[in-house]
Amino acid sequence: MGTASGIIRALNSGAKHLAVKRFTLRYPEEKLKFVGDGYQFDPTSGLGIAGYKGRHMLFHDKCTGCQLCSIACEGIAEAISMVKVAEDWKHNKKAIMPQIDYGKCVFCGLCVDACPFYALYMTNDYELSSFSKEGLIYTPSQLSVKPAISQDVEITISERGATHG
Amino acid sequence: MRMSNIAKQIAPGLALQKVDERIMTLNVGPQHPGSGHMRIIVQIDGDKIVACDPDPGYVHRGEEKMAEYRNYIQNIPHLERPVIHDSCNILYPYCLATEEILHIEVPERAKYVRVIAAELNRCVYTLYWLAIYGIFLGHSTMFMWPTGDRELLIDLLEKMTGARVTHAYFVPGGVRNDLPANFEDVCLRQVDYFEKRIRAYADIFYDNPILISRTRDAGTLSRQDAVRLGTTGSVLRASGVDYDIRKKEPYDCYDSLDFETSVLKSGDAYARSKVPWLDMLESCRIIRDALSKMPQSGSVRVKLKPNPKGDEMTSYKRVESGRGTLGCYVVSDGKPEPYRVKMSVGSFRNLISLPYLLKGEKLGNMPAVYWSLNYWPVEADR
Repeated sequence: MGTASGIIRALNSGAKHLAVKRFTLRYPEEKLKFVGDGYQFDPTSGLGIAGYKGRHMLFHDKCTGCQLCSIACEGIAEAISMVKVAEDWKHNKKAIMPQIDYGKCVFCGLCVDACPFYALYMTNDYELSSFSKEGLIYTPSQLSVKPAISQDVEITISERGATHG
Repeated sequence: MRMSNIAKQIAPGLALQKVDERIMTLNVGPQHPGSGHMRIIVQIDGDKIVACDPDPGYVHRGEEKMAEYRNYIQNIPHLERPVIHDSCNILYPYCLATEEILHIEVPERAKYVRVIAAELNRCVYTLYWLAIYGIFLGHSTMFMWPTGDRELLIDLLEKMTGARVTHAYFVPGGVRNDLPANFEDVCLRQVDYFEKRIRAYADIFYDNPILISRTRDAGTLSRQDAVRLGTTGSVLRASGVDYDIRKKEPYDCYDSLDFETSVLKSGDAYARSKVPWLDMLESCRIIRDALSKMPQSGSVRVKLKPNPKGDEMTSYKRVESGRGTLGCYVVSDGKPEPYRVKMSVGSFRNLISLPYLLKGEKLGNMPAVYWSLNYWPVEADR
């Protein structure tokens, strides 16, 4: 193959893309849809349930203050610390619950694997930016709120190429 | 200035040197966009490279030492940090070695899930590498296309593992969660489209006469030198040596899968840049084959005790990563933490050949030869 024909082929290959659909995800307007409601873990079978590893969700009515999530996080990110809560639960005599610092968390989800009481899950929320470092520390009451999520764009593949939505 | 003189220096670039009238020493890096987090000290005579001394170590993170203070499960998130694009493959030998120490038999379905995740990850890494190779050669289209097509596979890995990079998916005893519902169909559809996309790279990049003229016969590594210098992976296979751990020492379910290794003979920068692309095409074949042969049900993880303790023994396992052979040597002394974790990475072994390849080349050819070594600075420093 000659040099000229090779260059023409290369240019032609690029020119074909004028007819191909745009693949870019326009992020703040569009958000990618994930499978499920986030990463969860079933301690009886010892298996996780597939889902996105985002911000945690803490169920106050299930947390016993056993600190296993905090122990699991030691040596990984040291993001979890146990703090006092002003709540009176029969199963949580010490009244302590995890507080997570998202400036340190690496979203590995091993704290969720460590929880034997189905109290800690991960949700699809990943937009955690804050103007201060203190704003990244989520208290147990903040963690108990289910995030409002509107993610609905999926990759679709057609004759004219792949697109988001 | 001869190579032997440079090798004697304790701190390269710092010691006093006799100044030659014609020779100039040039530091490329460690903050240069064309070197990554490393320094390449080149000595040039006009436009010609007389000697070259790669100086890695700027991003040493002490991963091996850190592994001695954490138990077998807690080691997982930090051991995948050296190559976040290829995190499944860098964890693979660690998991295989730990399984031998803890005497765990991995379930059959988990082996196939692992292979699919590892092959997807290899493609994600290779596309990132290829994008940078494109921009090194001034081919900005080749930066845009792989970066976009990478999204197809990152989307699959995200559905599978829950994270776009640094998946923390492999554990000793299997994988952390089963595949989501309907994953096989989505995976087949996206991998088929992905293969169609990367085949289109041939026209614009690999058959492009401008690329061929820049990389053909640049930094030729002969078959004997490739073996003598101990290179691995795509560098070794581009020099005509058919050596792939997936074929030579099959781990998990690679022996039951149908694929071929890609070997080219010429050993120049062109061949070294083409072998990873051929590997990606084979990866698509492996993923399709693994999806069809995978058991439809069954567990994917062996339940471990908390803080599992191993016997007093050692284990060394190797896998084929995106950059070559990746070995992990784990020593256990019966405690919940490993006594020693040593990683032998492909990047570092390929870098050794750089001084031999660059000798006599033009300075302008340096990025083309350097990045064709499939080198990842952070992995080499660990």
